[in-house]
Amino acid sequence: MSTAMNFSSKAFTPRPPDKGSFPLDHFGECKGFKDTFMKCLRDNSFDNSKCRLQSKDYLQCRMDNQLMAKEPLEKLGFGDLKETSPSQEDKE
Amino acid sequence: MLLPCVLREFFRWSTLSMRCTHTLRLQQLQPSERGLHTQAQQFISRHIGLRWKPQTRGIKNRHNKRTQSQEDEWKSKNKTVLTYIAAAGVGMIGLSYASVPLYRLYCQASGLGGTAVAGHDADQVETMTPVKDRVIKITFNADTHASMQWNFRPQQSEIFVVPGETALAFYRAKNPTDKPVIGISTYNVVPFDAGQYFNKIQCFCFEEQRLNPKEEVDMPVFFYIDPEFDEDPRMARVDTITLSYTFFEAKEGQSLPLPGYSYK
Repeated sequence: MSTAMNFSSKAFTPRPPDKGSFPLDHFGECKGFKDTFMKCLRDNSFDNSKCRLQSKDYLQCRMDNQLMAKEPLEKLGFGDLKETSPSQEDKE
Repeated sequence: MLLPCVLREFFRWSTLSMRCTHTLRLQQLQPSERGLHTQAQQFISRHIGLRWKPQTRGIKNRHNKRTQSQEDEWKSKNKTVLTYIAAAGVGMIGLSYASVPLYRLYCQASGLGGTAVAGHDADQVETMTPVKDRVIKITFNADTHASMQWNFRPQQSEIFVVPGETALAFYRAKNPTDKPVIGISTYNVVPFDAGQYFNKIQCFCFEEQRLNPKEEVDMPVFFYIDPEFDEDPRMARVDTITLSYTFFEAKEGQSLPLPGYSYK
């Protein structure tokens, strides 16, 4: 938590997320996608750029199961993945 | 004959120090310069309180009447000026009180919100391009409040991202108790200056999250680093950003527990 000792440096103010809060996945509907993503991360030494496809799949699962508001993938920063989904992995 | 006039003069001088200058100048006139009629009139009107309108004949009387009306005019002018000044003072005080909601309206209209330094445009996510040569390590930290019994931990210790690219990270929380527990979390980003570039698209913070007994859930955080991070000279040496979440327990009617004490 931000302490009261920051006189000179700027204090940190938490900001609410842009699109609000994720509802909890109580039933584990997207657990499989999450496990794929985590495995991809571990295999690629936690490089996010290489696992964007899996993260896109996870968010797609959330949208399908009404755990997330449906948004076009461009708005989530996956615009480049939409056109080249299978070749993205080869490119990375 | 002259002595009471001098005494009267002195008396008048001391009591009329607040009057306007013209009246004072009148008082400064030597008794010999003013007519006896004028002195008598003023003496009577002050001490007996009669508004004795003398016969207005003679140049000296007319001069006195003119100065009297001028005096009234000056008085009314002074009153108007004082009223304006008082109104301006009250207006300033009111403006200082009104400045708070007015500034809020201005911030809403201009979209600044008071906190943004680098623009946090929601449409930026669509158009931003990743800065591929600047790799930043994001480390994750999870904390709970002393009285919060959830097991809360990140599922990855670190992740490498580049500015302008959206990233996903997971935390896991488990409720080991037999009662449903509602938690609410907040986050912190270190270094503080980098925190302004850390934009969360969606997360699990600031809203009450309920976990049933013995339930375990994955909590994702979807975020990105603003591409302007790369252009900020203060951020040139920043390679690691730590994201830290802290969970607190939320209960209706809960009184804050004493720090250091935990209770079942």
